Amino acid sequence: MDGKILITVGRQIGSGGLQVARKVADHFGIELYDKNLLMITARESGIAQEFFAMQDERPSALGRFARFLGIGGPVYADSGEYSDVGNLSGDNLFSLQSKVINRIADNGSGVFVGRCADYVLRDRPELFSVFITANEEYRIGKVMERENLTKEEARRFIESSERKRAAYYNYYTFKKWGDSSSYNLCLDSSLFGIESAASLIADLYEKFRR
Amino acid sequence: MIPVELGTEKIGKLLKQYATPAIIAMLATSLYNMVDSIFIGQGVGPMAISGLAVTFPLMNISIAFGTLVGVGAATLISILLGQKDYKMANRVLGNVVILNLVISFVVTALSLIFMDPILYFFGASENTISYAREYMVVIMWGNVISHLYHGLNGVVRSSGRPRLAMMATILAVVLNVILDPIFIFVFKMGIRGAAIATILAQVIALVWITKILCDRDNVLHFSREVFEFDFKIAWRSLSIGMSPFLMNIASCFVVILINNQLKRYGGDLAIGAYGIANRLCFLFFTITMGLTQGMQPIVGYNYGARNWSRVKEVVRLTIFCSVAALSLAFVVGMVMPDLAVSLFTRDAGLRAISARAFRISVSMFPVVGFQAVVTNFFQCIGRVGKAIFLSLSRQLLFLIPFLLTFPSFWGTDGVWFSMPASDLVSSLVALALFLPLMREFDRLGKEPVSQVTQ
Repeated sequence: MDGKILITVGRQIGSGGLQVARKVADHFGIELYDKNLLMITARESGIAQEFFAMQDERPSALGRFARFLGIGGPVYADSGEYSDVGNLSGDNLFSLQSKVINRIADNGSGVFVGRCADYVLRDRPELFSVFITANEEYRIGKVMERENLTKEEARRFIESSERKRAAYYNYYTFKKWGDSSSYNLCLDSSLFGIESAASLIADLYEKFRR
Repeated sequence: MIPVELGTEKIGKLLKQYATPAIIAMLATSLYNMVDSIFIGQGVGPMAISGLAVTFPLMNISIAFGTLVGVGAATLISILLGQKDYKMANRVLGNVVILNLVISFVVTALSLIFMDPILYFFGASENTISYAREYMVVIMWGNVISHLYHGLNGVVRSSGRPRLAMMATILAVVLNVILDPIFIFVFKMGIRGAAIATILAQVIALVWITKILCDRDNVLHFSREVFEFDFKIAWRSLSIGMSPFLMNIASCFVVILINNQLKRYGGDLAIGAYGIANRLCFLFFTITMGLTQGMQPIVGYNYGARNWSRVKEVVRLTIFCSVAALSLAFVVGMVMPDLAVSLFTRDAGLRAISARAFRISVSMFPVVGFQAVVTNFFQCIGRVGKAIFLSLSRQLLFLIPFLLTFPSFWGTDGVWFSMPASDLVSSLVALALFLPLMREFDRLGKEPVSQVTQ
């Protein structure tokens, strides 16, 4: 396919969204960006990767609280043009990461997993945003296998991780995480498997760009 | 994306470059808080100073309600502008105005209705209540102005124009300095004149800020459609603003506790003395606050780049400067406290108590210079929990028990002693957390440099 390809994939925990995204990226022969975004952002900003990992798709209420105690953040006075330099607040890390996503999109194609990329790239005509869901049983099974957990532990893991992920998304995007109106397409991967889901998305993307 | 100089330039030069604007802005804010005290002390009298000191907690609560809206909205706007989401940012701007109007109206109504009981609870007596009431009634009628001024100033600051916001603050300070003597000495309006001058200065500064925000060339500007109440924006602004709000309220209660202990053991003049000493301490402390703000980007960058020796160098230099600045307060407090407090009052009795209060308050300031930098440093490197604990320890956790017990042994002096005692204990705690961290850096420094990227 000619021209730029921008696809974002949101996903429930254990829905296989990442694998779907990888298949889509392979189909078009373009890069996949997920956790490696942290590494790229860390390299470009000079801020250690741990900080990005600490606040990856998770809100940092504690950090925000500290900032308003007047410690570690410009509360009364802003040092202006330097404000995003070496600033380790979650808000700033998000803004740095968004800049990287935008720069990648400026330079070419990509499939982006999570990190509010659908919001960051919202004004681009090439963007197609997808959200992958799956039924509970399927997701619990996947998480049990991946994280080596019991059924009950997996259920709790999904619940708490998704709460954080939703809080992060809702905080930065003014939209609702997982809500159908936030995406172009919502898809249940447990219905027809990773492979078909990926080819369906690729197919729809080609139709959309035609 | 990032100026590399943070990793290469001389630390001293960097700190100067980053800290100076922050220190100037902080000093402007702290002068803003002092102006009224000085003119009221000089022009109205010692009881008026005490009356004014009684109003501080109420003023702070009102400001807390202002920041409840302002801080959250400013945070949201800066995030949205980062995403170039101008439409939403402007709607937040409109909602700041709506929320400020609603909240300030409620605060004004409640405080005017319950003015006397509130002031008595905050430490007023028969002698001081009339001054406190006279001042506060005007301030409360002007509450809407104050809230809008502070809220919109924060918005301008976070919209990438910090210099403009600073100029507005300086404008308000200068106007207040000009108007205070006119209303107090020329129009002979006493403490009420000081309040009118304060509000009037804010009105003019607010008009100027509003004019800036009406300019359509600005990314952020008013238009009819932004003034539409949006529940989601409101709720998010308020929930972000909630923690600073609670913190402000907590510190108000500490002041209320101090006022009441002083009233019980020392009387009205002691409350006035606290007002004076507190203003002076804060003036010096702003230098430290500015320094720590300047330190932040330098630490952040070099910590991120795993340049441990530079991290250590920055924190050491900042501690040195901060200790030097607060040692200046210490020297002033030890050598000429009387001269310092004479800025606020000519009354011999109040001067004597204030000088003693100031002298005792700053007796541990050099170590506070260390404690404040360390607290900030922990936050800079992402150890948030420790930073919060250290910050609360000096102003709350250790201070309150001392305030509750010391006065029963040493009376008024007990209240003054509580502050350096809390300073000392919290600084020791800071030291206990700081030394292992430094050793950790030394150990990391010896390891072969690992790549930032995997």
